[in-house]
Amino acid sequence: MENVVKINKEVSIVAYYFKQGIKRLRCYPKKMEWSGKTIIFSEQGLRHPTKKGQRMIHVFDMTDGNTDYRLEFDAEQLTWTLVYVADQAYGPLKDEFQATHLNAVQGAS
Amino acid sequence: MQLAVPDGRVTMRSLELPINRANPEVMHIDLNSCFATVEQQARPLLRGKPIGVTNRLTKNACVVAASYEAKAKGVKVGMTFSDAKLLAPDLIMLETDPPKYHYVYQILVDIMRSYSPNIVMKSIDEGIINFEGTSMINQRPLEEIGYEIKHRLKKEVGCWMTCNIGIATNRFLAKTAASLHKPDGLDVIDHRNLRPVLSKLELTDLSGIAERNQARLNACGIYTPLQFLDAPVDLLRRQVFKSICGKDWYKRLRGWEVDDWQSSIKIVGRQYVLDDMKPSDELLRSRLAYLCETTAMKLRYKGLCARGIYIYLVYDSGDSWYERRMFKSTFFSNGEVHRRATLLFNRRPHHDWVRLIAVSCYKLAPSNMNQVSLLEEVNREVWLTQAMDEINHQYGEFTITYASSLDAKSTVKQKIPFGSTRYFELLLNRA
Repeated sequence: MENVVKINKEVSIVAYYFKQGIKRLRCYPKKMEWSGKTIIFSEQGLRHPTKKGQRMIHVFDMTDGNTDYRLEFDAEQLTWTLVYVADQAYGPLKDEFQATHLNAVQGAS
Repeated sequence: MQLAVPDGRVTMRSLELPINRANPEVMHIDLNSCFATVEQQARPLLRGKPIGVTNRLTKNACVVAASYEAKAKGVKVGMTFSDAKLLAPDLIMLETDPPKYHYVYQILVDIMRSYSPNIVMKSIDEGIINFEGTSMINQRPLEEIGYEIKHRLKKEVGCWMTCNIGIATNRFLAKTAASLHKPDGLDVIDHRNLRPVLSKLELTDLSGIAERNQARLNACGIYTPLQFLDAPVDLLRRQVFKSICGKDWYKRLRGWEVDDWQSSIKIVGRQYVLDDMKPSDELLRSRLAYLCETTAMKLRYKGLCARGIYIYLVYDSGDSWYERRMFKSTFFSNGEVHRRATLLFNRRPHHDWVRLIAVSCYKLAPSNMNQVSLLEEVNREVWLTQAMDEINHQYGEFTITYASSLDAKSTVKQKIPFGSTRYFELLLNRA
């Protein structure tokens, strides 16, 4: 299966969750509706800002445990775009690589 | 201890400078396989899998970062994609994504700055914190701060991020300490454990000693880092390195700081290896225009102008050709760099296919863009450049660009700058 499938379509994010960052509470997408499917994200990979000219874009790399998704939030237009889906061939995400497990291991050490 | 020198003389060890017995206050932080780890952080399904990061997804592109899983299978940085695939058939290759790395870089800088104002980023993924003079603020042991930095990196970037930390009295030993236990290690080198640590290393494990320097040392009877440490300064200066470098190594190995200097920019340029095996003249000129444009952008980004320009070509046969010229007037605009580079480029030999083009500007001086000229055409050029830069800054790089280099914009990708992070912000605008 193709490692990365480009989509570049606007999607609806219908649920969010919040996570305490170092300085402030951070918001992440939880549930996405895309071409008749509902995808529930189980973990965030990385959130990073980028710019298109002076427009601020927030990039979210998310996973539902079976596929990785890249979403972009345009802070000016307030729109969500699904940029690509990736790594479907490598799922499901093993327990040992999940954030909950990794954080628990780190906490124990 | 006695050391033999090539002419048969034997010199006694002379310890003119003692080992630095001060408290270690230099911390070196190195993100483990940075680009690969950041990719695995962003895409959780790639965790635990051998991945390589490259600038272009072509079989001859080289691996710029490999995950630890790939390294375990023998994949090394610098290998071509096809060679790496032979060693690890399940290797997953990804293309670089500079904004991601810049985000991690900024977080690392923020973390480091929160401990000391004296920080130096050596590259995108490694930096140095000098704790000298901060004892009133940081009263905890540096090891404790080191573990806190590791924890903060995981919390602020993600749970997959790891870094190596080395603590010592100078930058060189701190870097050596950071490379002792990879990944996710934390080591301290001070006067108490310097000899035991060096006794476990090879000469080439030392940062700055590769095959050539190793051969120089071997030629003077130095085969181990301990012998290197014990070598007298005269031997290193007069016979091994035959320069001041010998004295620097003598101090460096004893924990004294010699690397806390910053070089000024002497040359600004770009180069590109052509993707087409038989490039037409039109294609070459398009790439040249692009390189000139980005070189001029770099100049202006650093507030510089140049007087000299240098063109370097490598041909398919391996032959190379270069030409350089100094001009009376300084230049900084895209058009001027392109015009002057074209003058030299037109003089190139046409005997073979060109494989690589490089454009560099030298004899740099602070930019005189703010100085209004008596000549109207000079002022026009400055105003046009400023207006163009402003529009490109507002709407994204290359919103206004030269038609001649239009084709190159989609093909030539901005690379990750290794070593220096001088142009990182500029690169990101273009990425």
